[in-house]
Amino acid sequence: MTDAKTKIDETVKANDIVLYMKGTKEMPQCGFSSRVAGVMNYMGLDYTDVNVLADEEIRQGIKEYSDWPTIPQLYIKGEFVGGCDIITEMTLSGELDQLLDDNGLAYNKEAADKIREANA
Amino acid sequence: MSKSAEIHKRLSDALAPTTIDVRNDSSRHSGHSGDDGSGESHFHVMLRSPAFEGKTRIARHRMVHQAMGAELVTSIHALSLDLDV
Repeated sequence: MTDAKTKIDETVKANDIVLYMKGTKEMPQCGFSSRVAGVMNYMGLDYTDVNVLADEEIRQGIKEYSDWPTIPQLYIKGEFVGGCDIITEMTLSGELDQLLDDNGLAYNKEAADKIREANA
Repeated sequence: MSKSAEIHKRLSDALAPTTIDVRNDSSRHSGHSGDDGSGESHFHVMLRSPAFEGKTRIARHRMVHQAMGAELVTSIHALSLDLDV
């Protein structure tokens, strides 16, 4: 593995929830990253954000690490979960809640329900 | 061939869709980050195919990435996918 991929591997294994994104969770710099971070912030998730715009090697490395061409990318307990479309679909279907429950990760269930009500 | 037509052709050839709609959303993102001025930066694809039967969401997206080819996928800024059987 390259240095960048080793670093990514360590990060996603050392932290329960990691979002590789453009910008930060406080200040996203791309609509797709913004949508995912917005949902995660609203659901009260405790997660680590990695700004790929701050490190070109990570920006390329993350695409190779997951064999996935786009950013954002969400990892839970070291497993790649998906990008913006998949996270959005899983939030609306309740699959994301289930995944968090299965991994014993805390989130605001009421907030998740509100997102679903607003998009029903 | 426009990128929309290219995407449409490659996905039609590889995935035998029952429904396919490739939409160029680039004009909605004009002037945003990622707008390269080509008018071919942002695309949305809605595709229904029996090939997705029994596949996870990630697997379905990977099938589309593969069918499009790395060069086409990386040449556009944003690709939004709505995939189902």
